[in-house]
Amino acid sequence: MLPQETSRSPEPQRKADITIKLSEFEIPPMQDILLVGKRAPIGPEAVRRMVDAVSPEQYEIVRLNHEVFEAVVVKKSLLKLLPKEKLLPVVIDEGNRIADDNMVVKAQINITIQISRTVDL
Amino acid sequence: MPTVEGLISQKLYTIDPLASVGRAASIMERYGIGSLPVIEEGKLVGIITSRDIRRSHPNRLVADAMTSKVITVPPTTCLTEAQKLMAKYKIERLVVTRESDIIGIVTRAQIMSELGKHTDSLTGLNKAEIFYEKALELLKEGQEIAVIFLDLDNFGFINKEYGHIYGDNVLRQTALILNSLIDSNRDTLCRYAGDEFAAVTTRPLAEAEKLARQMVLDLANENWPGKIKVAISAGVAGGRCSELRSSGEDSSYIVKYLVNMASLASTRAKKLKKPVVAVEAIELKETVGM
Repeated sequence: MLPQETSRSPEPQRKADITIKLSEFEIPPMQDILLVGKRAPIGPEAVRRMVDAVSPEQYEIVRLNHEVFEAVVVKKSLLKLLPKEKLLPVVIDEGNRIADDNMVVKAQINITIQISRTVDL
Repeated sequence: MPTVEGLISQKLYTIDPLASVGRAASIMERYGIGSLPVIEEGKLVGIITSRDIRRSHPNRLVADAMTSKVITVPPTTCLTEAQKLMAKYKIERLVVTRESDIIGIVTRAQIMSELGKHTDSLTGLNKAEIFYEKALELLKEGQEIAVIFLDLDNFGFINKEYGHIYGDNVLRQTALILNSLIDSNRDTLCRYAGDEFAAVTTRPLAEAEKLARQMVLDLANENWPGKIKVAISAGVAGGRCSELRSSGEDSSYIVKYLVNMASLASTRAKKLKKPVVAVEAIELKETVGM
């Protein structure tokens, strides 16, 4: 027979554990590239207004004719390292493997340029 | 011709591009409308329709869900022109603007319903009022017009001998033949009444007469069911309407005058057993064709 609670039962003890993780908030909340899905809750115009408001002139919006993504928002400084014709197809291809058209995908990009030069002694 | 102006509703609802799609949906639902023009700083920047809303997340900005390319028309656009534009761009709505001001929206359903009132249900041709409106419009533009009036011969006999169903088929087939001969840029054809058809054209009188002859010929050469003979007589009136205009008569009088002359000419063609009789409006100079 199961024990029954009565009005005289003691109140259950309640405890709370608090875990805090602090990190720097990114402004805008993206670093390098954002891939905007065609049916995502935020569209390219909203992204444009957001980045223009918080990081004016730092990001470029490239509209796409793609089955999943509507636009790419890319940090202009990245494009100094690599032209967008080289960079974006790689990012879109990889994004396409993991995303659907309801998603906004954030991509962090590290570009290392390897140079080897020879000079006459 | 009836224009889109008559179809515009009194109250116009618009939305800001920074509003959410969810807000646009609630406005449309509340007022029972299918689209909202998107206005930014007083300017039309797009249109959001129920179709756009179905495709978009409700959190999106209207700016990210709207159609930016908006087809606009002035309120003076006639319904047939509006219908053509909608078919061309595969759209269901047109935004009506006067200069840069938006004054309303017209939908395909409204246009089709209104056009239906001006279309003869049996033949699919215009009703006579469209013919009159077109003729007046042309005269107001300063164009010369001619009227071709066509009357089926012995149509009462066809109805009595073969029945009204057969008679209706003859009318439908006649309409198809006449319609295939007209150039919609120059001619407006209508079922005038019963077994009578009329066309107003900007062709010179001689060309209008030629068209009437072709109409009569094509009907005579048609392979009618039951091998019965169906014929039509035509009267044509027109030419030098400018003289009528300068005589101080108003445009509606001129149109009625031409219709009367063309209808009398068709009766005369019947009596003379000639397919076409053309009458020059001013000089009343008759020519008997063919």
